[in-house]
Amino acid sequence: MAEIVAGIATSHVPFMAAQPWGGVDEGQHGRVVAGLGEAQKLLEQARPDALVIFSTDHFDRCFYDNLPPFLVGVGEEAEGPVTNLSRLPKVKLKVAGDLGRFIVSEGLENGVDFALSQDLALDHAEVVPLSFLTPRWDLPIVPIVVNAFAPPMPSLKRCWQVGTFIRETVERWPEKKRIAVIGTGGLSHWVGPPETGRVNAEFDRWFLQCLVEGREAEVIAQYKKAEELEKVAGNGGQEIRDWLAVAGAMPTSLKPRVLAYEPIPQWVTGTGVMAWAGN
Amino acid sequence: MSLYQVNKLLRDANCNAELAQRCCTEPEAVLQNYDLTPEEREAIKNWQVRKLYDMGANPFLLLVYSMATGNDMRAYVKAINQPS
Repeated sequence: MAEIVAGIATSHVPFMAAQPWGGVDEGQHGRVVAGLGEAQKLLEQARPDALVIFSTDHFDRCFYDNLPPFLVGVGEEAEGPVTNLSRLPKVKLKVAGDLGRFIVSEGLENGVDFALSQDLALDHAEVVPLSFLTPRWDLPIVPIVVNAFAPPMPSLKRCWQVGTFIRETVERWPEKKRIAVIGTGGLSHWVGPPETGRVNAEFDRWFLQCLVEGREAEVIAQYKKAEELEKVAGNGGQEIRDWLAVAGAMPTSLKPRVLAYEPIPQWVTGTGVMAWAGN
Repeated sequence: MSLYQVNKLLRDANCNAELAQRCCTEPEAVLQNYDLTPEEREAIKNWQVRKLYDMGANPFLLLVYSMATGNDMRAYVKAINQPS
């Protein structure tokens, strides 16, 4: 049977991998990059065969004409980013379609109605984190796009539950494979509304501490409505769904810790990196 | 319903650099392909970003469209904070 061997959650703001807008403090930049470097090292030590990656969209793969809560890529390859104002490198990755199809079919039989795509493109939400975490682009991925960008969105509770479902499903997968789970997005940021550029470091630090202490239920209870979360964490803060999905997917043997957190208004983002790893 | 069309125009331009360019050079020709109210049409043509936001256009799409059509983020932040 397969097993989950590591988890990483990280922001995916394109400025991390491209030219920063308006300049950014070198110390902050360095600490974020160091956190991502540590995450890469932990991932290598865990020796995964494939990655399940929870990420969001930015209206370049999904739109109001077709808006699934959870969309799984099950093709052979995925290429992107589709839209590229930040001039990120175009990459092509192998998709672990066998695991993706297993997740979708197990979901449909067990109460998680995933949508699927046989031709899912990549977005900066995958390309930016993976440029740091798997710089050789050599690990196949199962992309799971969570609607954290266009209301109505799945609840925080549902995202955490889908994470737990992924753990159970991976552990039922009859292949002797090692799987890491990645989540990307957040933390607090306002992208487009009048508050654009605001970062709520107090919220971000509370959220990280909740994950470190296994208090996801507290986050879920506090923000049952997307509107409540948006008030304190912005429209971009909705992406903590991907972090909660990773937390839900983690076996108790993997311990969480924060590798970096920097509130960076120049990047329009509370920028964090976290890992779940064995001792 | 036409707010969907506003968001659709923004999204189409964000995903297509050529269309974004045409939004600047021949806005009338682009806008006629979308089922917009006269108020929406004027707000897009004159890039009244705060007005579009107040009408309910998606703010993320507004920001990216603004950048795709040649404005920088500072200009966008200034515009979105000016009452319509």
